[in-house]
Amino acid sequence: MSEPQPRRAAVTGIGVVAPNGHSTESFWKSTQEGLSVLDRITREGCDHMPLHVAGEVRGFEAGTAVEERILVQTDRFTHFALTAADAALDDARLGRADTDQDPFSVGVVTAAGSGGGEFGQRELEQLWGKGSRYVGPYQSIAWFYAASTGQISIRRGYKGPCSVVAADEAGGLDALAHAARAVRRGTDVLVAGATEAPIAPYSMVCQLGYEELSTEADPDRAYRPFTDAACGFVPAEGGAMLVVEDERTARERGARVRALIAGHAATFTGASRWAETRQGLAQAIAGALQEAGCAPGEVDAVFADALGVPEADRAEALAIADALGAHGARIPVTAPKTGIGRGFCAASVLDTAAAVLAMEHGLIPPTPNVFDVSHDLDLVTVRARPAELRTVLVLSRGLMGSNSALVLRRATAGAE
Amino acid sequence: MSDRITVEELSELMRKAAGVTVPPEELEQQYDTTFDVLGIDSLGLLGVVGELEKRYGAALPPDAERSKTPRQFLDLVNGALVAGA
Repeated sequence: MSEPQPRRAAVTGIGVVAPNGHSTESFWKSTQEGLSVLDRITREGCDHMPLHVAGEVRGFEAGTAVEERILVQTDRFTHFALTAADAALDDARLGRADTDQDPFSVGVVTAAGSGGGEFGQRELEQLWGKGSRYVGPYQSIAWFYAASTGQISIRRGYKGPCSVVAADEAGGLDALAHAARAVRRGTDVLVAGATEAPIAPYSMVCQLGYEELSTEADPDRAYRPFTDAACGFVPAEGGAMLVVEDERTARERGARVRALIAGHAATFTGASRWAETRQGLAQAIAGALQEAGCAPGEVDAVFADALGVPEADRAEALAIADALGAHGARIPVTAPKTGIGRGFCAASVLDTAAAVLAMEHGLIPPTPNVFDVSHDLDLVTVRARPAELRTVLVLSRGLMGSNSALVLRRATAGAE
Repeated sequence: MSDRITVEELSELMRKAAGVTVPPEELEQQYDTTFDVLGIDSLGLLGVVGELEKRYGAALPPDAERSKTPRQFLDLVNGALVAGA
């Protein structure tokens, strides 16, 4: 008698709100063209700060996707999350009629590093400017990290496992891994991902203390990891939500299985101790490959963390070499986030979305604004590179010391 | 300013504090519909109470935010405002 097949976590839906596109289609078009949308910050109240360049989501109308009743009680980061979740669920063709039948089989997990800073600032200005009676009651929920998980699940009536990962920027990958584990344990569907909205005065002041932040004012020169000109990272807003689903259940309902989340591991090496991330990241990669049952030589491309700090870039290049052996120097590496900035927890979820799209299109998107690579890496620059991609590795590190690796596998038609 | 809260005022406050639009004439028809059904959660009603307290410069009875329907709410709040005047 054969053992029951273990449950596998499939990506069946992708929803994106990014600086380079408000939909998955426009995001992919800009990403594969290597378009850079980094620009001078235009948000009100931000013009006097020593941070000049960011990846802003411009022209986003929250009211198009989110009803007024929810708008008044939520921050911009939750508006992004609700919009991206709707798009992901539409992509997965999972509507209320499907999920209402068994609301306990659907959960939500998000990661957030910045929370609802803009909403919080507005209410705190009321507190100190006018008095406590002028602070609205929704302050109690809007700026909280958990707001997006809560609002998505309440709005959709989901009653399955819901959680929030507060694990630094690498939390984006950890949230996807958490969703995959929940699916393997028995929940059918998880809406998972991360969105951030840190381009507002209060949130920006919170970031000014990061020595890794790029203060370069020229958008073309502000974020160039893996080069001698690397001068830090550029922040961004927006993000992505994915539908992560039990592969068999998904196929039975006729859903398109876009990729499999095959392995993940995370390590911790301490805040801003970048040299030590060589070992931490290599160990995360090894752990993720092991969970995926994947040999280093099977990895076809790497989506790098690409912090843009020389010491951190060196550590990442060495970690890839350490973990993947001789294969590491030949494998194509890319960092499309140099065209849109690092949206904290959202950055690695956008990378995961791009990696799934890259596997589907057989095309590795390039690393905008990066030309002369000063590390022993085959970094994809200038234009997208055609490649047969079966297995992709996504890497992420946080400023506070987290390192994560996620292994994605292409969904094989043969399994259907 | 009137010393009684009108249905127009409640409708406007519901929109401002809770993002729920119910025109006054419709709200009059729905006096006994619960706030829950109208789409106003407990924090939304707390926001309506907070706006009124600022407007009238007086504390409303603690039960105000526990009202279940517009009728209950207006009866309680107007009773309190008249008593306090």
